Amino acid sequence: MIQLHKVKKIYPPHTVVLDNVDLEIGPGEFVSLVGLSGAGKSTLLKMLTREERPNSGKVMIEGVDLADIDDNDVPLLRRKIGTVYQDFKLLSRKTAYENVAFAMEVTGANQEDIEKDVPQVLSIVGLGHKLEFFPDEMSGGEKQRLAIARSMIHRPKILLADEPTGNLDLVNSYDVVKLLQKINELGTTVILATHDMNIVNRVGKRVISMDKGKIVRDQTHNGRYVI
Amino acid sequence: MADTLFNFTNLGINLKKIIASGWTNFQRNSYLSFGATGIMALALILFLALLSVQFLTSQAVVTLRDKVDISAYLTTDATEEQALRIKSDLVSLSEVYDVTYVSKDQALQDFKSRHTNDTLIQESLAQLDSNPLSASLNIKAHNSGQYASIAQFLEKSPLRGVIDKINFYENKGVIERIESISNGVKSWGLGAALVLAAIAVLVTFNTVRLTIYNQRQEIEIMRLVGASNWHIRGPYLTEGGLYGLFASVIALAVFYPSIYLVSDKVAAFVPTVDLFDYFFTGLPQVVLMVAFLGIILGMASSTIAIRKHLKV
Repeated sequence: MIQLHKVKKIYPPHTVVLDNVDLEIGPGEFVSLVGLSGAGKSTLLKMLTREERPNSGKVMIEGVDLADIDDNDVPLLRRKIGTVYQDFKLLSRKTAYENVAFAMEVTGANQEDIEKDVPQVLSIVGLGHKLEFFPDEMSGGEKQRLAIARSMIHRPKILLADEPTGNLDLVNSYDVVKLLQKINELGTTVILATHDMNIVNRVGKRVISMDKGKIVRDQTHNGRYVI
Repeated sequence: MADTLFNFTNLGINLKKIIASGWTNFQRNSYLSFGATGIMALALILFLALLSVQFLTSQAVVTLRDKVDISAYLTTDATEEQALRIKSDLVSLSEVYDVTYVSKDQALQDFKSRHTNDTLIQESLAQLDSNPLSASLNIKAHNSGQYASIAQFLEKSPLRGVIDKINFYENKGVIERIESISNGVKSWGLGAALVLAAIAVLVTFNTVRLTIYNQRQEIEIMRLVGASNWHIRGPYLTEGGLYGLFASVIALAVFYPSIYLVSDKVAAFVPTVDLFDYFFTGLPQVVLMVAFLGIILGMASSTIAIRKHLKV
């Protein structure tokens, strides 16, 4: 489903962030991507949403080379990929409901579907009672669950989570990870970039370790946090 | 599955929602909106002021030009037939707008009526046996630059012998000065208009850019959730257009009362010009033009300002 073939990314002048990365991830997998800061985890995720492009090599999703996608069609790619970030990236001037609704509006969904789906997905993440709250009125855990709700609204095939627990305490972190696992069980491929050892060990699925832009270890089953 | 992932048919642009969202932004950013609107209103007022100055000077030049003509005075022995020959030659010139023939008798009549109160002149005239005045041709050109060539035409005329004197050479200084004022107003006015327009665009552009820069994170988030460029740009274009629209309303609300107040003073200076009347009869056009300019200015500024935030 996701294939990276000899992907190389260099930030000018000569910082190598991804160094000939070869990687294949199948549909429905739950992958933990671990490594120190600067190991290339975030850059790898950004390759998949085409926020970054490789200097050489190929990034393919469902057999389509992302380099072949027209700039104007990139939004359509992003609607198929849910994203969750450490800093939540919520629209601060929109309520919880509006934040999720906005992601639907940009796809041209009709009002009826928006009014039906948005409260539904917010109650799945446990925010059914906070529809009219602004992000600033919510706790870190709630913000992240709101971000997850937003990423789920398109029923994406792939969910990318970049340090989603980085700003959260232990309890909230576990809640978020449980949510990600639940989404994964429903068939979505989840890639979780993190350096939280407890979480990785608790999930215990495929673990890919990165260092200095290279994949140094790939434990396909019952992986442990190893750098 | 591949075709569901890359089914690029619907970018989901809903115009009504996008415009509504621009209106909401405009309200929520009231502080910045106020700044941008104010700057644009100033720019538009400058534009309108310039328009009035342009109108005034062109009217003044027209008024002055009407007063300028050249006359060819004929010798006293010239016959009326010769005079009319010269007249018809002149009329056939493309530069000539109008020629009036003033006969000897007519000239005397005019002279007398001009000096009815001057007894000395009346008495001196009465003592003369013959008419001392000569017939003349008053010539008006389409524009003041053409008098030189008309004078030249007369110089070369086969009937030059019956032309006593051409007073172009006496008026030459005045004619040339009007000509240069009129040209100066045209080119300087255009130059000033261009400079002002450039300043207006730059200032507006910068104000809008600051507004958008403040929201760069929001724009980034919109891109990440898969909003198309038009979906992001639309509300900002609407917002920019609204700045322009409100700016034009303010500009007009300031301009018309000012014109009304200034109009009388201008009339004392150039009596033939009614500034207020000119702008009042042109009201619909002026309103439309200013509103159009404002909206275009706002939208263009937004378009340029947001461009660099839309890189995918």
